[in-house]
Amino acid sequence: MTTYTVYKEQLPGLFEKWSKQYALHVPARLREGFYDLVPWKKDLEIAWDYDVAYNSPKRFVMPPHEALITYDRRTCEAQPVFEAPKQILFGVHPYDVKALNQLDQLMEGGSPDQNYLRRREATVVMVFEPLTVSSSAFWASVGAASVAHGFDLYWTKIGPAAFTVEVGSAKGEELLGMNGPLLSSTAGDKEGARRAKARVLAKARKNALRYNWEETPRLLAKCWDSPLWRRYSQMCLACGSCNLVCPTCYCFDIREETDDKLETGVRSREWDGCMLEGFAKVAGNHNFRPKAQDRYRHRYFRKGKYIYDKIGELGCVGCGRCVRACTAGIANPLKVFNELWEETAHEY
Amino acid sequence: MNTKLFSPYVPRPVTLVEKTPLSDFVTRFTFEQDNGKPLAHKPGQFVNLSIYGIGEAPFSISSPPRRTNITFEIAVRRIGAVTGALHALEPGAKVGLRGPYGSSFPVMKFVGKDVLIVAGGLGYIPLRSLLFYQLRHRDEFGRIVLMVGTRDPKERIFVDEIADLAKSGEVEVMETVDMPDSTWKGNVGVITTLLPKAELDPGNTFVAMVGPPIMYRFVIAECRKKGIASEQIFVSLERKMKCGLGKCGHCQINELNTCIDGPVFCYTDIEAYQEAI
Repeated sequence: MTTYTVYKEQLPGLFEKWSKQYALHVPARLREGFYDLVPWKKDLEIAWDYDVAYNSPKRFVMPPHEALITYDRRTCEAQPVFEAPKQILFGVHPYDVKALNQLDQLMEGGSPDQNYLRRREATVVMVFEPLTVSSSAFWASVGAASVAHGFDLYWTKIGPAAFTVEVGSAKGEELLGMNGPLLSSTAGDKEGARRAKARVLAKARKNALRYNWEETPRLLAKCWDSPLWRRYSQMCLACGSCNLVCPTCYCFDIREETDDKLETGVRSREWDGCMLEGFAKVAGNHNFRPKAQDRYRHRYFRKGKYIYDKIGELGCVGCGRCVRACTAGIANPLKVFNELWEETAHEY
Repeated sequence: MNTKLFSPYVPRPVTLVEKTPLSDFVTRFTFEQDNGKPLAHKPGQFVNLSIYGIGEAPFSISSPPRRTNITFEIAVRRIGAVTGALHALEPGAKVGLRGPYGSSFPVMKFVGKDVLIVAGGLGYIPLRSLLFYQLRHRDEFGRIVLMVGTRDPKERIFVDEIADLAKSGEVEVMETVDMPDSTWKGNVGVITTLLPKAELDPGNTFVAMVGPPIMYRFVIAECRKKGIASEQIFVSLERKMKCGLGKCGHCQINELNTCIDGPVFCYTDIEAYQEAI
């Protein structure tokens, strides 16, 4: 694996160059304790120590509102719409890349979703090893502390003004070399990166599942009738905030809007959420998940079992965003899975 | 086709050629594919139909597969935005179509066997595709028993067709209504009450059933009582099949996507899923 050492003073020049060709997004502090990826501009202070970006990176590859087709009501003809802006996501944490990789698999499988795949193709992902860990995060215990693929460059801060940058793709290496020759990392730099990772891992392990994450689907299989679902869901506001901020939630609705002459229009997909009351409702108002309990359980089964059964990974990467977003304080995969584990502990 | 511009979300135009009212709320629509090709569906599959400006919705295909004929039929109850707009269309109008999508009834398995078709309410609409496919190859199947249950006599659909089937002697028809009126002379009661009345050879009978969500549990229980094995029971389940591609998440039954894993399931394959029946 090729690794280069890059110094902080080189960054403004690189960012300047990249932003001419790509929409460049970087982590920034919006207010105390509130971070997000924002468009880079000169002199913007990068929040190297951000714990979690409030919004997940899924919005860059599957925007909240995205045109799929345009149609003409007079001819009944429809045309596909593909938008795929060239973009660089700089500073994405490994657990979020894990989530992107999952979306890749799910959108590519079966009938490939061209809209998603084209956006993803045009997106450069630059990982940044976290320095701090959100108090609601538990990514280290769900197999999402590191990623082996799905990124173009992997940045690790090894000193006040130095980074190691591991190359994940030719495109990444080319972007990194845009301002002249690169300096190969020394063994010492690589050791620095290893230690930086070990340091953050130690912090991240403070919140952990009490069992091996790979047991989750077997655990859930026993817990369909657990009283926990009702205990928590009775407080559910069915607001869908957990779906909204989740980096792996990708369910969508399809809607359309016609112009004021009723001639042409656009059909789009919009984020939807399985926690919303009407999500499984069909014509004639029959609702297949009428109760908050049905919907709440469905979401955890999706994260802990259904996705796992499909791709062998948990559908939860432990970012902890839902924990912070939930007004009722009931969205918490770590707590839910741990409590289910304890409930069933006597069965082991 | 320009593969670079291919998107599975783009419907193709089809033209409405005939519109036949079946009851106060249900109408049969016959469409013709503008591309001049047969729809090439299998019995039990569905299409996603678009009325631009209103929206897109899934409908079961009601006609049997046709090798050369470019028409196909759906039958629709007027109940919401898309179905309302559909009912307002007149022959010559164009709509958008995606599909056919989903799984189908395994007709090859049924060859040489008796087939019990259980149609509750609008369930006859998709089952009709299977039934008329079998009738076209009538000598390849054993008995065909058709059970039809409707809430009240006024809501019965395909009344003449079902009467003709009974007269033809090729299909044994049993019918019931839940709430009879003064005109009704036949069986009274929910569709499950027909099962004990039918003499079936359980080892040699395959069942295909479609009906309202509440129906399945009871009809399946009656079938099992008769000694018909789970592997011989096929159901078609309704969910909100929005994208038809297994992506949007609306039609999930536990981890199954009704739009690609279903809508037709062998009962054995869904027995363990809490959200299925």
